[in-house]
This record gives sequence, C-alpha cells and structure tokens, in this order.
Amino acid sequence: MCSRVLFIILMIVSTNVLADGIVVDKVYHPYVLPNEREFEWRLMSRQTDDNSLIGQRIAYGQSISETVMVEGYLIGEKTETDDFGLQAYEVEVRWMMTEQGELWADWGMLFEVEKKHNANDWEVTTGIIFEKEFGKASLTMNLFGIYEWGENLQEEFETEFRLKYRYRWLPQIQPAIEIYTGEGYFGIGPAFMGIQRFDGQKQLKWEAGFISELSNSGKDHSLRVAFEYEF
Amino acid sequence: MPKYIYFHCLLFISLFFMSQNIWAKTIEFHLILENHVFIPSELKIPAYKKVKLIIHNKDNTAEEFDSFDLNREKVLFPNKKTTIFIGPLSSGQYEYFGEYNPGSARGVIIAEVINVN
Repeated sequence: MCSRVLFIILMIVSTNVLADGIVVDKVYHPYVLPNEREFEWRLMSRQTDDNSLIGQRIAYGQSISETVMVEGYLIGEKTETDDFGLQAYEVEVRWMMTEQGELWADWGMLFEVEKKHNANDWEVTTGIIFEKEFGKASLTMNLFGIYEWGENLQEEFETEFRLKYRYRWLPQIQPAIEIYTGEGYFGIGPAFMGIQRFDGQKQLKWEAGFISELSNSGKDHSLRVAFEYEF
Repeated sequence: MPKYIYFHCLLFISLFFMSQNIWAKTIEFHLILENHVFIPSELKIPAYKKVKLIIHNKDNTAEEFDSFDLNREKVLFPNKKTTIFIGPLSSGQYEYFGEYNPGSARGVIIAEVINVN
C-alpha cells in the first residue's frame, strides 16, 4: 500500500512545472455534510528575498443539500505596492461526488468564481478533488484548472496541483506533508491539522503549514493558517 | 498547453477508473438507534474487509454518527436508514458516538479475524 502511495507521489513530483503566482492555499477534502454551516478564516504569508505578501480570507459556508456546499469569501491582500485591503470576492461550490468509503477512493469537484474588487477582472476555477484512506493515513489530491481574464489581466489558463498526506494521530494533532505546484512554483513542507469538538455539531478545525519553494535557490517560504468553526 | 497538464489529467482519470472497481459483495451489518442508544453497542465485523453499515434511526430527531477512529462523520436523519461504508480495518476496537447525545449514543466496532471453520 505504501509503495502505491509513494509511486503516485513520485509520478507527480517528477513532472515539470511552470509556475508564477501564489499557489499555497489549502488542500480541499471532498466531503460534505448536510446541515453544515461554517465560518472560515485563512491566512497566507509568503516571503522571498525581496518581497513579502500577505493574504487573508474570511468566509461563510453552508451545505445546500446532502452533497453540495456553497461558500462565499472576502479576500484581502497586502502586496509589494499596496497596503492591506479588500482585493476580491469569491463564490465557491464543492460537490461530494461519491459516498465516503464506498469506492476505492473518494471524489469531489470544486467550482469557484472570483471577481476583483473595483475592477472588471475575473477568475474561474474548476477541478477534481481526490481522497484515499490507507489505514490511519489519508492521501488527498486536488487538480485545478484556472482561467483568468479582464481589463487588467492577461487572458490565461493555468493549472494547480495540491497534495496532502496526513496521519490521523490524534483528533487535535494530525501531522501531514503538503505539496503545491503551479504557476512556476513547486513547494513542499510540513503541515498539521486538528479538530476540537464542542456540543452537537459545533466544532473548531485548524490547519497550518510551512511550505518552502524548491525550484529557486533564493528564499521563498510560505506560511498558511486556517480556522473553521462549524455549527 | 504544457505536457505536465496532460500528465496530471491522465493520472486523475486513471485513479477515477481505479475507483470504479466497486467491491462487489460488501458484507452488510445493521445497527439501530433508539432512544438515543445504539443497539447493539458492540458490533463485531471481519477485519480486512469492507463493510456496509446500515443504521436505522428510530428516533424522531436527527443524530450525527461521529468516529475519529473510523474516520467517518454522517448525519442520521430521523426515522430513516443511513448507510456508512467502513474499512477495510485492521484488527482492533473502533469507537463511535452520536454528536447530539454523546452520553448515551455510544458504541464500538470490533474488527477481528474470523475463522470460517
């Protein structure tokens, strides 16, 4: 079983990538629960030798059926030239395509539409979410196609690939390794996620990761943190 | 379009078709949730086999089946049967509980190697 996982990872890592933007974000899981509602906050900080970038997202999400979750985001960024401020809005739909555990692996799909604040710039993302359980470990992979266009954007199509291999050690501490590729970027690093349950459906989930870019010789580190409160 | 895009697409398509290899004869086991209690509270299943667990919630309120051990979370709608696929599990005990009534709605799945003789 481990050799199969290693094979999949090596196949992906060994491919060439062309990258150019912020790729480190979140590895999506395919699962949706009915009656699920959540607030989410994400932070992404990227530091290179001559630049730093901070992105934050706040979101509210709700499942609208047993298999579909809709989430709306406000996206803020601080770039080299701009102070932190609202940059974009996004609507995301996640669809759980298969029942967890029924097939050899679990599948989902993601659809996102993002519009830049005060500009007629758009980005549409769609892709596949895959998860396979190996005992107490889980392999999660995302493959996304991204199309951007608008008055300030060069029309282009990009792809991003994300991978997480997680060990379910304790509910609060589940160590993982994450890989992000896309837009000329290849990053890998340690991560963890955890969950704390409260009464009923109330629970707090957290994730953090420290991803280092490997294809450049200079400094290029990304820290990502996310909290989700489900109720 | 760069070559690696085709490669990633091919990889995901291959994995998707591997997923279609449905376990033809999944063994079924049944649990009942009544008065916020799972019956039986201990359920023995064969180790290293995928199992279809059918839970009949006879209560008039919803419950949420939750198990970190089994890596499953599922809403049990009132007066309905819900299917949860679990395993293949190695030998051992796997605890679960109902999120709305964790004091009474608790149980354990025991996966063990069953000698057919």
